[in-house]
Amino acid sequence: MIWRIIIFLWIATTMVVALIGAPLVPVLQETTRVLYFHIPSAWVTTVALGWSMINSLLYLFTRNLKHDDQAAAAAELGLVFCIVATVTGSIWAKSMWGSWWNWDPRETSIFFILLIYGAYLALRASIEGEEKRARLSAVYSILAFVAVPPLMFVVPRIYSSLHPDPIINSSGKIDMDPMIRWCFFSMLIGFTFLFAWLQRLRVRVFRLERRLAV
Amino acid sequence: MDRNWVVLGVSLLVWGLLFFWILRVERRVSEVEKR
Repeated sequence: MIWRIIIFLWIATTMVVALIGAPLVPVLQETTRVLYFHIPSAWVTTVALGWSMINSLLYLFTRNLKHDDQAAAAAELGLVFCIVATVTGSIWAKSMWGSWWNWDPRETSIFFILLIYGAYLALRASIEGEEKRARLSAVYSILAFVAVPPLMFVVPRIYSSLHPDPIINSSGKIDMDPMIRWCFFSMLIGFTFLFAWLQRLRVRVFRLERRLAV
Repeated sequence: MDRNWVVLGVSLLVWGLLFFWILRVERRVSEVEKR
């Protein structure tokens, strides 16, 4: 129980410091607050989808269904965090660009990721038989993840975008006020542990579902 | 009212509700596992 309370207090304390104590980014002004939710969500999306891909590989090597559970849970959570990143990004876009959706390269990239992993869940739901579902889903997950790094990191840098510069700028440095940087990385850590907790819980539910289905 | 406090209040409320919802789901899962 104690580590759950630590996660709660960690994120809550970071919220208080970030929203009350930290200064605003001059370019972003009031919309700075979105930064503390939007980027950690996008970060967890990448971590979750990567974890899904790793477990898909492990499943194909070992044929152990526990890896399929991990892969499916991570893909589901990756999609949830991707939706959070999309919604928070859209709120930010409305405030800065005057429109909820502009088909900016970053928006288009995240839209494709949503489609790709939405299709992954549809594929899982459409296949009868555990082994077959696990095998085909694993292959799809590995192929799907190939598209994630280009969509997340390459496409937005190739095409001109209105989106603010990435956190690590083109010269490889993090150009941020120390207080904002502290809050930002603290939120990244908090969101990562929240993902780990949810992942563990979702895998337990998958195991229960299998046990009850027998 | 200062907007920062409004945003903070809403964020803490949403996070608190989410946290207790996850705890509740986890408790249910533990109960079913024990059966």
